[in-house]
Amino acid sequence: MKKRMNSEKRFRYICLTILLVFTAICITPFLLMLAASVTEEQALVREGYKFWPSAFSFDTYKYLWAKRETIFRAYMISILVTFAGTAVNVIITSLFGYPLSRKDFKWRNVFAFVVFFTMLFNGGMTASYIIWTRTFHIKDTIWALLLPNYLMGGMNVLMVRNYYTASIPDSILEAARIDGATEMQIYTKVLVPLSKPVMITIALFAGIAYWNDWTNGLYYISNPKLYSINVYLNNLMNNIQLLTQQSTLTEGANLAGMNLPSVGVRMAIAMIAVLPVLIIFPFIQGQLVKGVVIGGVKG
Amino acid sequence: MASAIAEKKKKSKRVSYVPLLLMMVPGLIYLVVNNYLPMFGITIAFKNLDFRKGILASEWCGFQNFEYLFKTKDAFIMIRNTLCYNVVFIFGGLVLSLAIAVMMTEISKMKIAKFIQPAICFPNMVSIIIVAYLVYAFLGSDGFVNNTILGGEGISWYKESKYWPAILIIVNFWKSAGYGAIIYIASISGIDKSLYEAARLDGASKMQQVFQITLPIIRPMIILMLLMSIGRIFNSDFGLFLQVPMNSGMLYETTQTIDTYVYRALMERNDVSMSSAASVFQAILGFVLVMISNLIVRRIDSDSALF
Repeated sequence: MKKRMNSEKRFRYICLTILLVFTAICITPFLLMLAASVTEEQALVREGYKFWPSAFSFDTYKYLWAKRETIFRAYMISILVTFAGTAVNVIITSLFGYPLSRKDFKWRNVFAFVVFFTMLFNGGMTASYIIWTRTFHIKDTIWALLLPNYLMGGMNVLMVRNYYTASIPDSILEAARIDGATEMQIYTKVLVPLSKPVMITIALFAGIAYWNDWTNGLYYISNPKLYSINVYLNNLMNNIQLLTQQSTLTEGANLAGMNLPSVGVRMAIAMIAVLPVLIIFPFIQGQLVKGVVIGGVKG
Repeated sequence: MASAIAEKKKKSKRVSYVPLLLMMVPGLIYLVVNNYLPMFGITIAFKNLDFRKGILASEWCGFQNFEYLFKTKDAFIMIRNTLCYNVVFIFGGLVLSLAIAVMMTEISKMKIAKFIQPAICFPNMVSIIIVAYLVYAFLGSDGFVNNTILGGEGISWYKESKYWPAILIIVNFWKSAGYGAIIYIASISGIDKSLYEAARLDGASKMQQVFQITLPIIRPMIILMLLMSIGRIFNSDFGLFLQVPMNSGMLYETTQTIDTYVYRALMERNDVSMSSAASVFQAILGFVLVMISNLIVRRIDSDSALF
């Protein structure tokens, strides 16, 4: 019996060791990025990226501050789009999900299918692009960052519906109706307070999708004034790639001549783009895990 | 009299649909614009699109666009890459995520699990642009690998396509293995603990417990997740294949997938007909595969089927 305990203990420690190694692999690239952003520029060009820089410098962050007009503008656009998009997403998703959960709503299955079909079939990117640009003319407007793809997802609608069906008893709705509440009052006074967990989950999924989005910017935005932070980073890298591919010089030599941010500055921008996710993630991850478990099966 | 009361009661019970329908209006408008109009846009692939005439008035050309597309070498490369990468991602990802889930369950009572769990999910939470920057920090011409590991003997990673299958597979697993484990951790935590107690009394080792109890019990979940990913086998992670290789033209041989082709044909070459042919090909095959895999899921475990 003692032998068994030992072998189980050993198994446990082997698991722990492997997981710690994997955790380290997940985290180190971010540490390298952080280190690069605080390395003195000459040292970075001379020695490349090091986990422990030979010379520290916060010039990169000072440079960001000096360039705040473009970079912080992009940052503000990301924040604006994330908050507006998430708010609208949560509202229209839950408004749509509620009637689908009502057993006395005869057409609920028809509408549920309308939602569901969008999860099975889509027209493809090219058709979406042509519709959004030719019919709705969203190119180079702030709408391009808000409207395509992320405003309401079929998956979330069905998740809300299932939540309402499973956890809001008919008797509560019935009682509210007898008291003379209108449908809208039932929704705002009864449903919304009772469905906070699912609303928060949806808000998290939508918020992360909006903050991390770059595809809408890639397809629809060419005006630098409308760049979100991820679109800004993407364009920065593209420009630098283009220049280095066209010339035989090394990257460091190239950048010096052209007014482009150094490697360290780029890593600093990437760092501030990750920062909000890094700060809120530990707090939201429990909720997110629940969402994945509910949604993962049917998604 | 009694019947009149019953009638009245029935009437008051029947709710008006108008407020409910009004609540659905914003969502419906969005679905029509974002999802249903593009479905009709599929016709673009069967037309000689002329923007001066508009989509509706453009001439039909049958399967001509598809014929041209499949005559190009691009078609073979992008379909091969999409399918091959997905096969590795699906099966490799399954094995890794299962292994992580089993190990996480094993250490779930330790305090450090509360740190490990978010840390291994974190790479999935950042945008692929950031991931591309991280990869660049390692593989760029002055990157960590060339400078520190290879000691200055640089490899031009972004100019050699042969390295990219390995790089993309590693990046994909790094990004999504931990996140993919969540669903399995949840299923394993639902297993009755007394089964393990009984197995221990019978002298089963930990490995035996994993293979004899854990895996067989969560098998329906594994099959379900597998089938659902097989339903999406013609879709690729657009960002992974476009951004991580820095959209480098020299790497198309091993980094071009259907999604990147659709983007490049549309935005870089302005070739709407090729782009739409590829994207419609992807959408229709994807639809067929989802239907087939759902059919199979329903046979195995009807509760888990999508419909």
